[in-house]
Amino acid sequence: MTDEEIEEKIRDIFEKEGKIDRSSLDKDTVLEDLNIASLDMVQILFGIEETFDVYVPQDDENFRLGTMQDVLDGVRKLMKERADS
Amino acid sequence: MINGRSGVAEISRADSDMLHVRIAAEVKDYDPADHFEKDPLIYDRFCQFALICARQAIEDSGIDFQKDGLFEETATIIASGVGGWTTIDEAFMRMFKNGRARAHPLTVPRMMISAAASQVTMNFGLRGPAFCVSSACSSGSHAIGEAYWMIRTGRARAAVTGGSEAEISVISQRAWESVRVLARDACRPFSKNRQGMVIAEGAGVIILERLEDALARRAKIYAEICGYGLSADAGDIVVPDQKGAEKAMRTALQSAGMAPEEVSYINAHGTGTQINDAVETAAIRSIFGNHAASLKVSSTKSMHGHALGAAGSLEIVAALKAIETGILPPTINYTEPDPKCDLDYVPNEAQEQPVTGVLSNSLAFGGLNAVIALRKFD
Repeated sequence: MTDEEIEEKIRDIFEKEGKIDRSSLDKDTVLEDLNIASLDMVQILFGIEETFDVYVPQDDENFRLGTMQDVLDGVRKLMKERADS
Repeated sequence: MINGRSGVAEISRADSDMLHVRIAAEVKDYDPADHFEKDPLIYDRFCQFALICARQAIEDSGIDFQKDGLFEETATIIASGVGGWTTIDEAFMRMFKNGRARAHPLTVPRMMISAAASQVTMNFGLRGPAFCVSSACSSGSHAIGEAYWMIRTGRARAAVTGGSEAEISVISQRAWESVRVLARDACRPFSKNRQGMVIAEGAGVIILERLEDALARRAKIYAEICGYGLSADAGDIVVPDQKGAEKAMRTALQSAGMAPEEVSYINAHGTGTQINDAVETAAIRSIFGNHAASLKVSSTKSMHGHALGAAGSLEIVAALKAIETGILPPTINYTEPDPKCDLDYVPNEAQEQPVTGVLSNSLAFGGLNAVIALRKFD
């Protein structure tokens, strides 16, 4: 999966589970500024786990929830870990 | 609890290879055969715990339900968050995984969330008002509060009441993981480095009766339950609301006729999630004002974990023992002060202090709040 494909899938998940307009999402978007409800956020993380077949750890420095770029980096890292294991 | 001992350990009741969070506070070294003469398989584990605790409470109280037909006027209100979860798990496994054609005939009598209330009435011949209360993590407190109201309003003379829970399984644990509220290594309420809660199982059951009856039979009185406050956040299904918590505490004090200054100890809901502990602290500050600085507030969930529908009843038992002994149970695993949680949490070690007025807070998922007010009885 290319980076662009991963990014598109993440946007899909934010749009579906977080009810976020995808046009407002770019790499520098700060997640906190999106005011995503708590239950929507856990559904986004669940969507990421289901889509990429990974486990997103809680409060983990390898998966930061700062910006969209952090999410993209985190997903890449988890996918690589899974491929290596 | 006064020794600050934790019941949290690696999970034994679920295949920990299937879990990411591998700790829980389980009832350990438990063999149903030690507690039941007849086949205990008719009871789900949550029901077994309720029956054992009801028996202990009845024996400890010395109450005689046969005297003056008290059994006709004794209420039985036993709460649970989910009832016989592991029985349902087993039924699904049997049919969907193991391909069996029939469900076991005890599935329904075991799984009913009201099974514990029913079995307590049957085991002790209690024929007064009886039902189950379910309000997630406030269930146990709601049960005791409703029993208290029944006695206060004359609908019952005595009550056997509390909560029970035993839902530890791969499915439930993974479901809690998905909500992202579980701590990986320890429950650290009010400490800045808190990660979340630790799931527990267990039960707490107490006996309530009219004061005149307790005095007449010279009962050992642990404390007077004197107030009960309820509220709904009407907000978010998972995020607590400060105003809802405040209203439950305020109405508990009002129904007890208790001034905020009378309260010396609060057994907090204190789940150990970032949001609960900050919101609960802010609510306590709002209700108690300057007196908040003199309050002792601890979360015994740091030791017994979060027993969900049994949590409130376990914590009321802890509050009763604090009143009886004058020893406040600590909040263990407290290692890092948090500016958002700035009360005296009885960190890490029990403290000796006379306890007079007490609140026990339960603030459930879904915003269903219950607070019980207790007073030392002299």
